Amino acid sequence: MGVLGDLAQRFRRERVELDLEDIQGLVLRSRPEPYVGVHAMVRVVNAAGGRQLLARLPDRIQSAQGWTDDLGAWMGVALSYEGLRALGLPEQSLKSFPLPFQQGMAARAQQLHDVGVNAPENWDEPFTPGNLHIAISIYAEDDESLEEALATAMEELNAVEGVSLLATHRFGVDEEAKNPFGFRDSISQPSIAGSGVDPQPGQERALAAGEFILGENSETGRPLAVPEPAALGQNGTYVVLRKFISRVGGFNDYVASQTSDAEAQHKLAAKMFGRWRSGAPLVLTPDHDDETLGADPERNNDFSFSDDPKGVLCPHSSHLRRLNPRDSQLTIMTDVNIHRIIRRSSTFGPTWTPDVTSSDDAEQDRGLYFIFISARAFDTIEFMQQEWINGGNFVDLGSERDPVVGIHEDDDGSFTIPAEPARHRINGITTFNRMAGGEYLFMPSLTALRWIGAHGWA
Amino acid sequence: MAKREDPRLEDESTFDEVSRRVQEVAGDAPHLARIAIEAMVRNHNPDLKGTADSAGRVGLRSGKVAELTVVARLKPGGAERLQRIFDLTNGNMDGAQRVSTLHDMRFVFLDDNTRVLFATAYDGDWDAYINDFATKIPELMDFLFQNAEGWPGIDSPEVKDFIAARQIDAAAWFVANPQVTVVDVRRMQRTEHALDDFLDAMSGRRDLDPHTAEALKTLTDAISQPEGVDY
Repeated sequence: MGVLGDLAQRFRRERVELDLEDIQGLVLRSRPEPYVGVHAMVRVVNAAGGRQLLARLPDRIQSAQGWTDDLGAWMGVALSYEGLRALGLPEQSLKSFPLPFQQGMAARAQQLHDVGVNAPENWDEPFTPGNLHIAISIYAEDDESLEEALATAMEELNAVEGVSLLATHRFGVDEEAKNPFGFRDSISQPSIAGSGVDPQPGQERALAAGEFILGENSETGRPLAVPEPAALGQNGTYVVLRKFISRVGGFNDYVASQTSDAEAQHKLAAKMFGRWRSGAPLVLTPDHDDETLGADPERNNDFSFSDDPKGVLCPHSSHLRRLNPRDSQLTIMTDVNIHRIIRRSSTFGPTWTPDVTSSDDAEQDRGLYFIFISARAFDTIEFMQQEWINGGNFVDLGSERDPVVGIHEDDDGSFTIPAEPARHRINGITTFNRMAGGEYLFMPSLTALRWIGAHGWA
Repeated sequence: MAKREDPRLEDESTFDEVSRRVQEVAGDAPHLARIAIEAMVRNHNPDLKGTADSAGRVGLRSGKVAELTVVARLKPGGAERLQRIFDLTNGNMDGAQRVSTLHDMRFVFLDDNTRVLFATAYDGDWDAYINDFATKIPELMDFLFQNAEGWPGIDSPEVKDFIAARQIDAAAWFVANPQVTVVDVRRMQRTEHALDDFLDAMSGRRDLDPHTAEALKTLTDAISQPEGVDY
């Protein structure tokens, strides 16, 4: 049935409390399986031209009104701070945005621990600070729908003067929806109060909508700061975009160096990720993969860590448990509900096989655009990079970092695998995902796109 | 950020200033040079390594520990209300302790109780957990800080700017254990108790296989000799 079909069955129009008609559909709508798509990066050369483009886009962007309906393709659009400036927004509006957004991702390298190979001076060209103004993403269920949607988007781009296309990047995976390392991903998504889909029994509670939609009440009981005026900020949200080049061969080689046979390699990789390649969680099937479980959206995320306080089933340091600790006991006072994200990552490059080695890494472009949506997106990614990814203090593991997405100097990473009678610790972990660029973005409501398009402040 | 300027030096001429600085440096030179050279030649154990980085927006960082010093104007009667809270709790701030990143906290009243100095040493980055305070312990945070003029409320989007605007970088700061967090210390205490129990159980055993005996001897060698505290 897949994720979208599952959501469609559970959608109840009478339970909707959000202004779905004004929210971009991409915010609530998950990727299909399989999915294909394209990211387009656009620069505004003159303000009037840029505004003209934005004025035309709302007719092409599906709202969240029918977010669980069948659709062949859908498009979303987000703007950087430099983009908003280039569009001529008034100073008062510009300074009402969060400080990290105003500074842009590259300027936040220190807070993001984007250092060494991940430092902004090593990023790809379209991500040169200030370059990217408008990010347009299209997700589609097949190539035909994608080509149609892409042709429409290009028509709009070509119809206006004063914007230039910096780059496009295609992505896509087969029905197993696997990331560059061969793992099904983006499985766990938060439930959002008032969206029309309630959590299933056993699932975590729905989170306050203001964690994801600006203007709604957040988990504090009040809305987070909304950009001004309301026509601009209300019903918008924020997006973090980070492009990673995955060193799949380096990862395969490392896992092979620590194990004896193929089965042990799968198991060690699963320990590092927290799930088996099928998506089946370690907590539910600790000893072997279970393809049926991994593919079942009703079961593959139905677990907690209450029966695994020592991390013997799923290591505290695994990628999954770090980035979504659920009910784990953490050493530091943390509200896990304000660090949840709506994940919209997209994988590019060839499908994973165990035969890829380090020598292939330089030749083939594999990786993913790590994309997520949250009304606290910038605080959240900086928190994650500092606390949950590039440190171990919050799970009593000192300086240990995330084995999959952590940044390591040379090969100084370690990974602790709780076991009896004594824990197993592997060393020599290197940086398996290199940052190739990114930006902090604002995903406006349809009203806001029209407001900017119509020069609403003039 | 507040600047440190001594108003008494405002009228000093350029010539006077140069002479004063030369004299100051010359007088201090032998002592300073010795400290600097000692610091350079010491081959530091990475476990003890401190750094003099910035802790993000404001404040200094040494290794994993950072310092935060805030001076804020108090509302009329604010010092008295704060003192009552401190007396009641005996300085024991439950909730603030649960944060588990704070090594210490101090409140000092200045200028006839019209201003308060708040200073803390903490683990991690400057504002990583401020959002968590706002949903986990909002009452405690507001209870403490609402006595400061202009406190916007812990759940206000302005709260980070409020703190940063009143924060002053330390001119100098020393940390004895820059690579150890509060959480690490607790684990080390637990580990020590467990290790003592383990050593009690192993003490006097003559029936160990050679590998176990060897591992145990390595452990004993590493911890049996008293060591002075090296910085």
